[in-house]
Amino acid sequence: MAKLGVFDLAVRYGKLLAVKDVSFAVAEGERLFVSGPNGAGKSSLLGAICGAVRAAHGRVEMDGDILSGRAPEDIARRGLSMVPEGRRIFAGLTVRENLMIGTGQRRDRAAVADDLETVYNAFPILRERAHANAGALSGGQQQMLAISRALMTNPKLMLVDEPSLGLAPKVVDEVYERLCALQALRGLTLVIVEQSSTRAARVGGRMLLMRGGKVVADGDAAAFAAGDLLAEAYFGDPS
Amino acid sequence: MSLQLVFDALSLGGIYAIAALGIALIFGVMNLVNFAHGQFIACSVFALILPSADAVATMGLGALPAPLLIAAILAFGAGLAVAAEALVFRPLRNASPVALMVASFALGILLQNILLVAYGGRPKAVSLWPQLGSPVQVLSAQVPLLQLLVIGAVALILAGLALMLKRARVGLEMRAAAEDFDMARMLGVRANGVISGAFALSGALAAVVALVLVTQTGVADVRMGGQIMLVAFIATVVGGMGSLAGAVAAGLALGAASALLQAFLPVEARPFRDAFLYGLVILVLLFRPQGLFASVGAKPRV
Repeated sequence: MAKLGVFDLAVRYGKLLAVKDVSFAVAEGERLFVSGPNGAGKSSLLGAICGAVRAAHGRVEMDGDILSGRAPEDIARRGLSMVPEGRRIFAGLTVRENLMIGTGQRRDRAAVADDLETVYNAFPILRERAHANAGALSGGQQQMLAISRALMTNPKLMLVDEPSLGLAPKVVDEVYERLCALQALRGLTLVIVEQSSTRAARVGGRMLLMRGGKVVADGDAAAFAAGDLLAEAYFGDPS
Repeated sequence: MSLQLVFDALSLGGIYAIAALGIALIFGVMNLVNFAHGQFIACSVFALILPSADAVATMGLGALPAPLLIAAILAFGAGLAVAAEALVFRPLRNASPVALMVASFALGILLQNILLVAYGGRPKAVSLWPQLGSPVQVLSAQVPLLQLLVIGAVALILAGLALMLKRARVGLEMRAAAEDFDMARMLGVRANGVISGAFALSGALAAVVALVLVTQTGVADVRMGGQIMLVAFIATVVGGMGSLAGAVAAGLALGAASALLQAFLPVEARPFRDAFLYGLVILVLLFRPQGLFASVGAKPRV
């Protein structure tokens, strides 16, 4: 059974159809990039999967459980965690409070402490700044905090929306390196929106190309970067 | 400045601060200015006495021994607020902030009319803990015992609340929800839990105000919540909508300014004290339209 199954999912904002009947599946432990130009519907797709955006129709399943129609907190508690676009850290809370906010539903306090240790080891700056206001962190540090905060909910599946947005290339390298290491460590399934397909190819994984709300191609990220599928996705006929 | 004046300012400001906190707590988590808060206060006052149209009230809950009475009336206020949330505001969760505000007005009017039907429109004499009116010598000042108790209780409540917000899980969730509710939900924070918690706290704070008001004035009046609700609302605006510390600071400042104006205005001008007070409020808002302590959470959510 697929870890994540998306069936004929559509998202509508008024008259605008942002996601048009998208279907795909993600296997356990897989890393899937969702790429494509601005307005392709990538963020709307993630929003509909995690329950932040209501789907017009279609359904989302995780481990065969239907997620569609559930409240975002229920979906999160089932093991799907979101690292949203723009990071959305709680600026007035300390770094540690940001990390702990998603651990309310976890009963095993020892496991929570272990996970805190894991993210502190992955991102030592977070340990250093644990009691500082999260708003005082740099953009890259905030991205690391947002990823760690999502990990602290003990997810099986993590959605990451544009982790490279607004970060220096060197910082992006670092973010991806740690993210992949954490994925390997935890056996996570990752769905990452990444506008740069060359970046996706460099990190490695499967890639969905979206354009005009539809999936126009699906395959190995490295193969995309070499071939001309990309140009077609960006410049070709979307219909 | 006389010591007496300090006690007046602190006790009045303290009550304003508690009332303002009741409004700011709910605004913080769901962008609702709860105009029914004044009626939560009035209902908590009337919960002390038995329904009747008599001029002198017969005690109901008010006949209980003090510790039980306080616990019962706090529970009543909290329960009333939680019920109001579940029945009125929860179905409107996705409505615009304006619709929510109008609903809170409607709820307030409904509660007031329920009180009118059950208790009649005449103010009633209520004698709750009359012994608290006896004066106590504090250094150079003669202070009613009640004033000291109010100041102590307010300090205790503020410290307890600050500790809860900082240390308790529900406090952490409330602060996160006040900053970005949708993000908090995506991390598994239950919206209903946080909102119910905020309403319960707010309702309990309304009950505290009710106890102080009724002990101080010796009167139960259906309209008694309105005046303090107005002051409390102004305090939350001056403090910066959504900022709990701001609401407390502005509540204290309003109380202190009120007491100072009462003491130092020329005798002929004293009847117009409130005009001077609100004049000051307008001045503050002219220079800081976002309030004294604008919060990150006060930005309207899309």
